[in-house]
Amino acid sequence: MVEKRTLIFASIAILIWAVLASNIAVYFYFQNMTYKEQNIESQQSQTKIAADYNESIVKYNTLLSEYSKLYGNYSFPLNINFTSLTKELGKLIVNLRGNYSILTKQKDLNETYQTLWDNYLKLSEEGNITREKFGELLNEYYELFNLLALRELNEILSETVTLTVNICIEYKNGTLEWHNKTEVPAGSTLFQLTCKIANITYTYYPTIKPGHILVNCINGENSTNNWYWLWYYRSENKKHELKDQWDAMLGC
Amino acid sequence: MNHHSKIRKLALLTVLTSLCLAIQLTPRPPNAEFTSFFTFIVGIIYGILNGALFGCFIMFVNCFFSPYGFAGLNAPFQMIGMAIAGILGGIYRNYLSKNIYQKRFCLETAILGGLIAIIFDLITNCGWGVSFILSGMNPTLAFFTALASGTPLAIIHTLSNIIVFGVLTAPLVKILDNMIKGEGFWLKKEPSYLHP
Repeated sequence: MVEKRTLIFASIAILIWAVLASNIAVYFYFQNMTYKEQNIESQQSQTKIAADYNESIVKYNTLLSEYSKLYGNYSFPLNINFTSLTKELGKLIVNLRGNYSILTKQKDLNETYQTLWDNYLKLSEEGNITREKFGELLNEYYELFNLLALRELNEILSETVTLTVNICIEYKNGTLEWHNKTEVPAGSTLFQLTCKIANITYTYYPTIKPGHILVNCINGENSTNNWYWLWYYRSENKKHELKDQWDAMLGC
Repeated sequence: MNHHSKIRKLALLTVLTSLCLAIQLTPRPPNAEFTSFFTFIVGIIYGILNGALFGCFIMFVNCFFSPYGFAGLNAPFQMIGMAIAGILGGIYRNYLSKNIYQKRFCLETAILGGLIAIIFDLITNCGWGVSFILSGMNPTLAFFTALASGTPLAIIHTLSNIIVFGVLTAPLVKILDNMIKGEGFWLKKEPSYLHP
């Protein structure tokens, strides 16, 4: 005959086991649910990226075929009047604004577009359009067209992918200001990242390539005749915060 | 109870409280704790009321000075959970056989250690559930989420309590039993109710 005390403790031990087992079951059930939800969200975002990407590429190909046609006429002119070609180029330029809504969202692109449009109007007003002048405008158009396509693809990617960046600002007096683990959408430019972490003033130059932008001031530290804001990148394996650890200067 | 015995008991309680607080407030792995063990011991030695008050007091101080930060809304739940450890110690004392064997005593206290950990974790998880409800979550989902997210810690807590209670209760009860019963018992080889 088992005594009552033993039975009580055996029951408590079974209760402990049952509660722990139930907890583990609930835990794994919730984990499973969480992973399923994450999986569904991930699949949805992948589908959306694929659809948007496809749409963007189709649009790019259509515009590229129109450009190619024009470029063909420009490259092999057979009794072709460049004035009529300029009008066709004007239609393509107008198409750009209709097809790329990113133009209104990104200030630098909008300014580049405006410069292109002004150059087009200026050229249209001239009576006799030479092949060289038309070629320059066509080249400007092509650069902006590719840039727009690239930025649009970046924007599609940035809706679902976030990058974590460590960025450091070094002032004239040697002070290092680190902004670690700054999150930015994939496809963001260094300029957009800098705008996010600091107060900056800049000048837009349509002729400077690439980028068109010269940063004049970061957090009150102005560029002067002898001092300009430069940017460098650094390999991930370099952990020390030393100035001579930077790999290379890439631009300004 | 004579005057010396009262003073000895009070001094011992003070020492246990200080020791328990020092261990509780020291940075340690999450949920590996000795407070429930000391509370249970106080419950065995001093009875239900003192055990419950001891647990409440330790968790009250812990709420403000814990290495894991201020307990906030979970504080009353932690105090209730730990008070139950003291109450169980007191109840166990009432049902403790004078002729219990040490192995059995260790086994029983280990099981009670596991039970205390589970009760404490259930109560504190309810506290987290209330926090989730206040942040706008559905009540059922809130409690299940709190329970599920606390499971890894609950397993650590239960297993560590089973080991601590099973291994340490018997020798500590022997020592405290000898101390409380006065100078005449200091050199006693065996405790009054623990047979090897």
